Amino acid sequence: MLSIKNLTASINGTPVLKGIDLEIRAGEIHAIMGPNGSGKSTLGKVLAGHPSYEVTGGEVLFEGKNLFEMEADARARAGIFMGFQHPIEVPGVSNASFLRLAYNKKAEAEGRDELDPLEFDDFIHGKIKVVAMRSEFLDRSLNEGFSGGEKKRNEILQMAVLEPKLAILDELDSGLDIDALRVLGDAVNTLQRADRALLIITHFPRILEIIQPQFVHVLSGGRILKSSGKELALELEERGYDWVLAEAAAGGAR
Amino acid sequence: MTSAVASNLLSDLLSGPRPAEWEKLREEAEARLARRDLPTTSDEDWKYTDLKALAGITFGPAPKATVDISGHLLPEMVGTRQVFVNGHHAPHASCASAVAAGVRFLPLSTASEACHALGMVGPTHNQSPFEDLNTARFEDGAVLLVPKNMKVALPLHLLFITKAETPIAVFPRLMVVLERGAELELVEEHHGKGTYLTCPVVEIRLAEGAILHHERVQRDSDEAFHLGTLKAEVAKGGQYHSRTLSFGARLSRQQPWVRLAEGAEATLDGLALLDGAQVADTHSFMLHAEPHASSHQLHKCIVDGHARAIFNGQVLVAPKAQGTDAKQQSRNLLLSETARVDTKPQLEIYADDVKCSHGATVGALDPEELFYLQSRGLNADDARNLLTYGFAADVLTHIPVASLRRTLRQLVMARTQAASLGDFA
Ligand SMILES: Nc1ncnc2c1ncn2[C@@H]1O[C@H](COP(=O)(O)OP(=O)(O)O)[C@@H](O)[C@H]1O
Ligand SMILES: [Mg+2]
Repeated sequence: MLSIKNLTASINGTPVLKGIDLEIRAGEIHAIMGPNGSGKSTLGKVLAGHPSYEVTGGEVLFEGKNLFEMEADARARAGIFMGFQHPIEVPGVSNASFLRLAYNKKAEAEGRDELDPLEFDDFIHGKIKVVAMRSEFLDRSLNEGFSGGEKKRNEILQMAVLEPKLAILDELDSGLDIDALRVLGDAVNTLQRADRALLIITHFPRILEIIQPQFVHVLSGGRILKSSGKELALELEERGYDWVLAEAAAGGAR
Repeated sequence: MTSAVASNLLSDLLSGPRPAEWEKLREEAEARLARRDLPTTSDEDWKYTDLKALAGITFGPAPKATVDISGHLLPEMVGTRQVFVNGHHAPHASCASAVAAGVRFLPLSTASEACHALGMVGPTHNQSPFEDLNTARFEDGAVLLVPKNMKVALPLHLLFITKAETPIAVFPRLMVVLERGAELELVEEHHGKGTYLTCPVVEIRLAEGAILHHERVQRDSDEAFHLGTLKAEVAKGGQYHSRTLSFGARLSRQQPWVRLAEGAEATLDGLALLDGAQVADTHSFMLHAEPHASSHQLHKCIVDGHARAIFNGQVLVAPKAQGTDAKQQSRNLLLSETARVDTKPQLEIYADDVKCSHGATVGALDPEELFYLQSRGLNADDARNLLTYGFAADVLTHIPVASLRRTLRQLVMARTQAASLGDFA
C-alpha cells in the first residue's frame, strides 16, 4: 500500500529525514518509535503533504501512485489520514458541519452519494458512540477550547468518519488518560481491516499494548535504526532507546 | 395604552438629575458645530479616516417615505418591530403590538416630552462632531423604557431604513432605559439604498442589575456614510452586551462609549467585513469607573480589495476601580496585498489591583490551519474560504436570536465565498 524508498526531507534548509525506507502492506499495523526530535512527526507530515517540508530525495508510492504528485487534499481523498499530534482549532466552524463537509468531499471524489444534514446527523451519531464523545461536541466549533484529550478524541472521530485506507496517528496517547486511551485505542482497532493499514507514531510504548503492531521501527536522527516485531516495543519500554542508538553506532562503525 | 408604572417611569426619568435643559443641549450642539469644521486626517482621532469624500457631497433633508420591509422580517420578531424610514418613525410598517405590556416605546415626533430624557448619558471621552450633528438636527427617533424587574420575553427589532433618491442626511435618535433588574434583547438594524449620510446616536441607561443584549447590524448601501455614536451607562451589577456587525457603507465609523459602575459587565464585540474601497473605523472607549467591573472586547475585521479597517480601543481604569477585569482583542484578517489595517489599543490604568489584557493581530490565514483542513480532503480554495468564514462566524456564534444568527451567517458565507461549501448556517 505504501512504499517509502530512501526518503530525505528538510525544513527551512535543515535536513530532518535522512534516508527512510519503509514498506506497509494492507492489513498491517506499524509503529514508529523514537526519542523526541528524531523526525517522527516530520515523517507523518511529509506523507500527509505539509507544504513547509521540502522533499529532497527518494520516492513514496501510495497504491502504486507517486505521492509527491498529489497535494495534501488529494492525498486525503485518496485515503491517507493523519491524526495530528497537535490538532488545530478552527473557531466559527461547527464540528458537525466540518465533518459533514469533509465526508461529502470524500464521497464526491469516490462517486458515492453525499449526505444531507439530516442523513449525516444519523450517521454521525453512530460514529460518536465509537469514540464515546458527547453529542454537544458536535455543535461546538472545531476543536475550539477542547482539552488535549478531547482533541485527540475528535481526531479519531474524523478518522471514523473518513474511513481512510492508511491512517497515520501521531502521538495519539499524548494528553489522554488511561481510560480515554483505552476507548480510542479500541476504536482504532475496530476500524482496522484487511484492506487498511495503520502507522502509529509514538515515543511511549503504552499505546502499543492496545493497538498492537506487527512491526516496530526505531527512528532516530532521521533514520530508521532498527526494525523488528512487536516484542521490540516491550524491550524499548524496559531498556529505553539508548541501547538501540549504541548498537546502531557500533554497527555504523563496523 | 397607558400603564401607570410606565408613566411614572417616564416622569421619574424626566425629574432625574439633568446636565441641562433639552433645548439648551440642542443649542450648545449647534454652537459647537458652528465653531468647527469637519475633522481632517490631521486630527489625531481621524488620522486614518478621511472624510474628504463626505465633504464633497451636499446632503439634503430626508423626506418621509414608505418602504417594503418584507425582506427584513425576522420570525421571532414579526410582532415586535419598530421601523424608521429616513429617520422618521413609520407606523405603517411598524407593529402596533410591538411593545410588551408595560414597556413604553415613545416616538420622539409624537411624544415630544420624551425628548427631555435625551442627552442624559455622558459626557463621553470621545465625543464626535456627528453626535452634535444628530443632537442639533434630528427630527424623530424614540425613547424605549422597560420598567423595573420586567424581563421582556421577545426580542425587540428596530429597523432603520434609508431610501435616498438624491443625497440625504438622516439622524436616527434612540434612547434605551432599563430600570432596575429589567432585561431586554434589542436588535438594531440599518439598511439603505442610494447615497446618504446617517449619524445615529444611541443612548443607553441601565439601572442596577439590568441586562441588555444589543445586536447592531449595519448593512447600509455601498454609497452610504455611517457615522454612529453609542453611549451606555451601566449601573451597579448591570450588564450590557453588544455586538456591532458592519457589512455596508463606503465609510463607517462607530464610536461606542461605555461607563461601568461597580460590578457591572460589558461586552463590546465587533465584526467588519470590508471589500473594494470600504473604510470602517471603530473608536471605542471603555470606562471602568468603579471597582470590580469586567469588560470584554473582541473586534474582528476581514479586509479585502483596497479596503481599510481602523480600530482604536481605549480602556480607562479609574483610580478607585480596583478589581477591574478588562480584556480586549483586535483580530484582523488581510485577504489582499492592498488591504490595510490600523489597530491600536490604548490602556490607561490608574488602579493597581487589576487584570487587563489586550492583543492585536494582523495577517493572512495561518498555513497550519490551512494544512489541517486540506489534510481532511478540502482543496486549497475551500480551506481558505472555510477559514475566512469561520474567522467571521466566530463573532456570530453567541447571537441569541436564532433567525438573525442564521441570516448573518448566510450573509457572511456569501461574502467569504464559502457558499460553495454548502449550508453551514
Ligand atoms: N519548523 C521547523 N523549523 C526548524 N526545525 C524544525 C521544524 N520543525 C521540526 N524541526 C526539527 O526537526 C526535527 C524533528 O522534529 P519532529 O519531526 O517534530 O520530531 P519528533 O516528532 O520525532 O519529536 C527536530 O530536531 C526539530 O527541531
Ligand atoms: Mg512529534
